[in-house]
Amino acid sequence: MEQKVSLFVPCFVDQLLPEVAVDTVKVLRRIGYAVDFPEDQTCCGQPAFNTGYWNEARPCAEHFVQAFKHADVIVCPSGSCATMVRTFYPALLTTSSLREDAIAVASRTFELSEFLVKVAAVTQVGASFPHSVTYHASCHGLRELHLRDEPLQLLREVDGLKLIEMARSEECCGFGGTFAAKFADISAAMGNSKAESVAATGAEFVTAIDPSCLLHLQGILGKRHAAARTIHLASILARDGAAQERP
Amino acid sequence: MSTTAAQRFLRDAAEKSADLVHRDLIRRGMESYDAAHLAGRARIKDWEAARQKCQEIKREAINHLDRYLLQFEEKVIARGGHVFWAADSEEACTYVKNLATRLGVRTVVKSKSMVTEEIHLSPALEKVGIKVWETDFGEYIVQLRDEPPYHIVTPAMHLNRGQIAKLFREKVDPKIDSDDPAYLMGAARRKLRQAFFAAEMGISGANFLVADAGVIAISTNEGNGRLCTSVPRIHVVVTGIEKVIPRLEDLAVLWPVLATSGTGQGITTYSTLIGGPRQPGEVDGPEEFHVVLVDNGRSQLLADPEQREVLHCIRCGACLNICPVFRHVGGHTYGTTYPGPIGSVLTPHLAGIKEFKHLSYASSLCGACTSVCPVKIDLHHHLLQNRRNATEAGATKSSERLMFRAWRSIMLHPRMYALGGWSMRNALRIIYGLGLAGSILDPMRVWNRHRSPVPLPSESFRARWRKGLGAN
Amino acid sequence: MAQTENPSRDRILGRIHAGLRTVIPEPAATRSDRIIFEPINDPLKRFQQECVANLMECTLTGDCAASAGQLSKVLQSLPDGEAFLQDHPSLRRLIELAVPERAVRWSTQGSPAEASQATITLAEALIAQTGSILVTASCGGRGASVIAPCHIVYATAAQLVPDLASALGRLSQQRSLDRNSFACVISGSSRTADIEKILVQGAHGPRRLVVILQTGGY
Repeated sequence: MEQKVSLFVPCFVDQLLPEVAVDTVKVLRRIGYAVDFPEDQTCCGQPAFNTGYWNEARPCAEHFVQAFKHADVIVCPSGSCATMVRTFYPALLTTSSLREDAIAVASRTFELSEFLVKVAAVTQVGASFPHSVTYHASCHGLRELHLRDEPLQLLREVDGLKLIEMARSEECCGFGGTFAAKFADISAAMGNSKAESVAATGAEFVTAIDPSCLLHLQGILGKRHAAARTIHLASILARDGAAQERP
Repeated sequence: MSTTAAQRFLRDAAEKSADLVHRDLIRRGMESYDAAHLAGRARIKDWEAARQKCQEIKREAINHLDRYLLQFEEKVIARGGHVFWAADSEEACTYVKNLATRLGVRTVVKSKSMVTEEIHLSPALEKVGIKVWETDFGEYIVQLRDEPPYHIVTPAMHLNRGQIAKLFREKVDPKIDSDDPAYLMGAARRKLRQAFFAAEMGISGANFLVADAGVIAISTNEGNGRLCTSVPRIHVVVTGIEKVIPRLEDLAVLWPVLATSGTGQGITTYSTLIGGPRQPGEVDGPEEFHVVLVDNGRSQLLADPEQREVLHCIRCGACLNICPVFRHVGGHTYGTTYPGPIGSVLTPHLAGIKEFKHLSYASSLCGACTSVCPVKIDLHHHLLQNRRNATEAGATKSSERLMFRAWRSIMLHPRMYALGGWSMRNALRIIYGLGLAGSILDPMRVWNRHRSPVPLPSESFRARWRKGLGAN
Repeated sequence: MAQTENPSRDRILGRIHAGLRTVIPEPAATRSDRIIFEPINDPLKRFQQECVANLMECTLTGDCAASAGQLSKVLQSLPDGEAFLQDHPSLRRLIELAVPERAVRWSTQGSPAEASQATITLAEALIAQTGSILVTASCGGRGASVIAPCHIVYATAAQLVPDLASALGRLSQQRSLDRNSFACVISGSSRTADIEKILVQGAHGPRRLVVILQTGGY
């Protein structure tokens, strides 16, 4: 019997970066998993939660738990959204009638690279991406989910990929959710520092496990007319050299 | 109309964020610290065990704060010292001021103490005609510039040697003709030495209050703290009540950890223990010893079960050093005694959530601070809790509250959410198509100020899923 | 001694007591036997290594005569000016052998003069882990280790303890802080890095810290 995973697609990926989710599906299927997409999902509640509106985040979290109650395994191509569910749902829903379900759903939620390396136990996913790439270590994945090596293990197995280390790879890119709107100047300054680090590597692409970081960096790099472009880890792993797609 | 702390912060942050010269100077300083810090950590066999131990020591101390403070007080008094409990800044300043005027003090030498900054002690003394000399080299420099310390460990790290040389030429000695750091230190040494030997009172802080031995512990490198507490006839210690530790032996791990996190050293050059005025038979030392225990909001924080651990802070500065926000806006932008992550967490408790909640929002919650804190304070999660406390206290803008209520309604209804997303993408496409990106009609104008516009795909993921992607 | 008037003392203690009534469940005791600091097998070697790193001068001598010779050498390298000494029989003997060509002031006569060029004291202990000397008020007073630009410590190898834990343990066991209002663990010459993080040796305290370490007893 084919193993099945349920796909958790962050709201802004659904609306602005759908290819990240499409590529996630591709990778999961390629390594032999059936994928389902619970269509009731909307948003995990992180924007409200991070801004301090826990009373508004709570019902969204309950809605999410209901949508994923029957999932065996939940995979999400975002470190920050996976963190929201895994790290914060149990505390956020501690007084909810869905408390037990929340704990169960949280324990079954994984970020994509984490799932591939630690659950599916694969690092070679048949990917081919003959380009130079530098890696930005997104904060939630690094410090909340403790994923330091997993994305790099996957990148090292990609055929033709040249991995270049950037200086200050673990320094925050400056997105931070509502921080980017409330403290736009600081957010942009941090983004520009990160863009400088990217440029210094000379890499064609910068990748990460968090599409929010990449959306922010894409905007910063675009404004600078920088040579480097952003690409999500899922999209790199989805390239198999078969179809001659331009990344 | 005067500006609020939040408005000043935004204004200063904007200015400093754009200042690449400042950014590069701070980055150089911080990267020098990074290298020293890593080398320091390598000297400790099990760094995580050290952090764990320090957390346990501080937790024990804070969870039995009254017992340990009383034990400390008893021993100090037995040696002939005085202990004064100050409820707030005003009481603390009044005590020191009255003591100084009663004893005819005209000159004070001070070693570094963030608590004395917190209670604004120097202005209180100067107002009654007492001259206060900051003797820590970095504090001396910023005192000459009439500005607050930039950083809790290295107060003048925002200045280069040229600026300091020019400052010294103007304020210390017109004959200064070099910007060599050793030369400048020599000039400061000569000037301040006169103050050490003329002052009637020395004021210091304390890094730790050791309960079982009844001594204060002060860690310094320059020797100014030593001179302040040896030469003048009165020694006053100003300290927060939370600085207590249970046992002398606790210093065996706290001293190296403080030094490693603060500067990358194995231990600070002078790790001093003082328990009272000079005792009978001692060669020298102050005739009077006073410890001012400052509460100023700390006992209130104690009652907060979620955030009591914030009182564990040993003021090492590591969180400031690693914070990317600090590295981009610098210490002065915060406008508070304590900048950086610890400052953002602590200040609403000491000085009010309404006025200072913005500091808890001025963070991307990257968590770097928490990862380096030597006493394992969960700093970035406390910022999140402060945000929640702010909304629950009704201290946030009503327009924002309404916005999130609307957001919630949409997110609870998948079809409304999908329609909302589709509408937003198409509205933006029209707005950008009309060349109105960045205008008042552009809901993404804050984003577009510093970034190229977000992509606007024609189809959402769920639309594609429905259209056939869903078939396995 | 008259007790200070303390109007807020009880109020603050009351607030602390009330705050602590909220009991925070503590995580399971992690009293682990994890070793925080590498055990020190050769304290003497470690002490010497740390002295180098701390920019301290440490010279090994065999006996009193050799120590006196070393002391002479150091004193001759210093500018003219008074030397201050802790008044102790070992130092009385040492200075007799060293024959300094300068005025000498003993701790029994008072604290060091501001213009002293050197202070010479014993120590309570030497700490190998951090390359430190441990002094108390009994070692010639507080000023003795900070006022002059050169502080010379006359110690014996028997005074060497491996680490901070043992040094602090010794202070506790001997109740040294009951009799001394002051103690200090000194790990180098005074220094600052306040200008551009550049290390400057010799801030307000001594620029030179010299340890004459006699392998035989006093």
